[in-house]
Amino acid sequence: MKSIYKSNISRTLSLTGLVISFLIISSCSKTVDEPSASINTPSNMDAEAGKWKTYVLSSSSEIVVAEPKAVTSVEYLAEVKKLKETMAAITPQQRDQVNYWGAGAAYRWNEIGRELSARYNTPPASDKDGKYPIPDAANPLADPKFPFANPPYTARALAYLSVAQYDALVAAWNYKFKYNRKAPSKTDESVKAILPVTDLPSYPSEDAVVAEASFQILKAMFPGEVPFLEGKLAEHKNSRLYAGMNVESDIIAGDALGKAVGEKVMARAKADGMGAANNQAKTAEMIANAKVIGLTEVWLSQESPKRPPMLPTYGTVAPWNFDKATVVALRPLPPPALGSPEFQANMNELLDIAKKQTREQARIASFWSDGVGSYTPPGHWHRRAAILCHDNNFSEVRTARTFALLGTAMQDAGICCWDTKYYYYYPRPNQMSSKVKTSVGLPNFPSYTSGHSMFSGAGAEILAHIFPSEAEKLNAMALEASVSRMYGLIHYRFDCEVGLATGHKVGGYAVARAKTDGAE
Amino acid sequence: MTNATSVFQPMRYYIITLINNMLQIIQFKRYLLGIIFIFLTGIISPVLAQMPNDAIYMAKNTACLAVSYNTSSWDKYWENTLLRENLNIGTHTTQSAMAMLAVGISKNLNVIVGLPYVWTKASAGNLMGQHGVQDASGWLKYRFVNVNGFSLHAIAGASLPVGNYIPDFLPMSIGIQCKTATGRLLASYRNKPTGLYVTTSASYIFRSKIKIDRDTYQADGQLYASNMVSAPNAYDVSARLGYLKKAIQAEGFVEHGACDGGDNIRRNDMPFPTNNMKSTTVGVYAKFQPKNIGINARASRVIEGNNVGKSTAFMVGVLYQFRYLKKSESTKNIFKQ
Repeated sequence: MKSIYKSNISRTLSLTGLVISFLIISSCSKTVDEPSASINTPSNMDAEAGKWKTYVLSSSSEIVVAEPKAVTSVEYLAEVKKLKETMAAITPQQRDQVNYWGAGAAYRWNEIGRELSARYNTPPASDKDGKYPIPDAANPLADPKFPFANPPYTARALAYLSVAQYDALVAAWNYKFKYNRKAPSKTDESVKAILPVTDLPSYPSEDAVVAEASFQILKAMFPGEVPFLEGKLAEHKNSRLYAGMNVESDIIAGDALGKAVGEKVMARAKADGMGAANNQAKTAEMIANAKVIGLTEVWLSQESPKRPPMLPTYGTVAPWNFDKATVVALRPLPPPALGSPEFQANMNELLDIAKKQTREQARIASFWSDGVGSYTPPGHWHRRAAILCHDNNFSEVRTARTFALLGTAMQDAGICCWDTKYYYYYPRPNQMSSKVKTSVGLPNFPSYTSGHSMFSGAGAEILAHIFPSEAEKLNAMALEASVSRMYGLIHYRFDCEVGLATGHKVGGYAVARAKTDGAE
Repeated sequence: MTNATSVFQPMRYYIITLINNMLQIIQFKRYLLGIIFIFLTGIISPVLAQMPNDAIYMAKNTACLAVSYNTSSWDKYWENTLLRENLNIGTHTTQSAMAMLAVGISKNLNVIVGLPYVWTKASAGNLMGQHGVQDASGWLKYRFVNVNGFSLHAIAGASLPVGNYIPDFLPMSIGIQCKTATGRLLASYRNKPTGLYVTTSASYIFRSKIKIDRDTYQADGQLYASNMVSAPNAYDVSARLGYLKKAIQAEGFVEHGACDGGDNIRRNDMPFPTNNMKSTTVGVYAKFQPKNIGINARASRVIEGNNVGKSTAFMVGVLYQFRYLKKSESTKNIFKQ
């Protein structure tokens, strides 16, 4: 009896031990595996890209890049010698940096831009008096941090980042083929480059161009991150020396070109009207106008204390792929009148979801939520573009072109959407019924049309043009992003459907540009 | 079941705390639930007479079924170290109903299992309340020293999410979808003549990574490109001082739980499963079980914390003990301290 008892116990214990050990082992690793982008190996070097149409530069030769020293010159040979010494002393950590940046210059800086957007996407907290302090660009790390990288802000930051990279690379390509100085491993066989080398001329360095142009934009958009960005900048440029891909004069020339282009692009940013995009004084006029055109109940902040609406005059910021008159022309027809049968049908649909949101609806709402603390819908689509460019082995300049077409389309969509939102000043479903609660967080601006839908329509339109084999998938994604806002209970169906359709129209302007920019 | 909650709720609390911490910010309400859950998961709730955090055992061939209701609410929480209110949440409440079964395998080995149903709500703002079956938990409690009122116990627990609830919609989520494994040591001394006892415990809780619905998130000041989230492990400690004699048990306790690492809630942002939720809780517990049917109740308050709600929690439960195998022994006194 006793022995049976004991053996039962020990069996139980050893079984338990097994279970526990399994659980412990399976839960011990705290490392999250993230996809690591492989080294980019362009399938085409796009030798004609120096002739592609630029956004801000008047032409690819607007910024002058001096002729490099010949590969037979004393100076060049000295540079190659120094390069070999640098390469001989490479550390494992430097080797990792080479691989990291080898995924692509624009690819990595776009990723950095998205990360900064997410880190700065936090709405200011209200103070003791119930007011919301405005982030101060001169004091970016105070509370609240500057910027509040909300969707319109992030759309614009990524647009400028992408345009600067693209214009700088088109200029770089012009000089690369004009001077045609080969990569150091092609001029000296004893230079064993770590990364794949093509026939792409190496002067000026495309990596230095992208790094400096990106730095100029991001330090302006995220002024509290200058030390972080300086670190990335130095690491990126050095990685090209460690890898034996560029001699120092390639880098220096790329620096200067990238910096000059970045400054030119920032000059546009300073004059694009963003400084006046938070004109709260205009809302009285907007509300009055919405009432004149028939709105019976205007949007009100559902936050406590009431938060001023997000960037009410962002709709007046300068668009990229069309003029300001087109913003008005693209403004959709009015939403259904509040209380009308059509409105009620849309409302009932939400009340139904509110009562029995399915797990799948909640999943879709969450997947596309891209809310506070995220890189927002523009970041979501930039990430998609980055993955597609990388998977399709795009050259550096074609990757930047994709980002620029997408980035400008995203900001255009944001501008049109914000124009529409504040023109109609339409209340959110949550304002019309307290039974409608959200599983994703309620944005603090008018409902019609859905920003996610517009961003996603525009993003899918341009990416489907660039990656036609992905068109079906991309359009399905945009549709899912759009309805996710109904599943998350913050938009009516008409917000989503009209927003998505308008987004596709906005994206169409980027497609029109893509067809004539010289790259197709 | 009835006898006792041991002094050792600390572990459980701890766990609770941990879980709670995690959940609390969002889920402070849940916190109570969390406690329950936790209990289950290793962060068990205090309801049972015989629990993973006490020194009380069901006699061989007997079992105790406990059903409890818990409510936990907070109107202030620690955003990192800042104690604040949130007018867009108001008062956050987590309620749960939990069934728990403790079985005496032998006089020194008990098995405890539990499963809670949890629901959350916020009194203000627009966040949707969540509800559902949370995580099932199981415990093995083994007394390996029992001399003159002094006892030592090794307790192992594990929990598995049962419901397919949203893990990262904090503070409204009912749980964080972690699988957990808990190891706990508990020491207790009971003075037989007076019925006074003191119990302390300490636990370590391993927590699995979780999968969220999104494919990117922010934690530790960086952006992750993954749907897998690493929830930090956790630990807890507790101390209890109480009285246990015949049908009556009453105790006061203090528990502290925290994560082994983790980040903090960002300024004016919501909690996330990676947060290092810490809390110190004080409370009282009592049980009355004159016969097979008993009742118990618990009240507790978080007095200090990080990344959790400053919650107040109440529990009431009904206990039913029974013999599942006939034995020649008397059925009296099936709960043995």
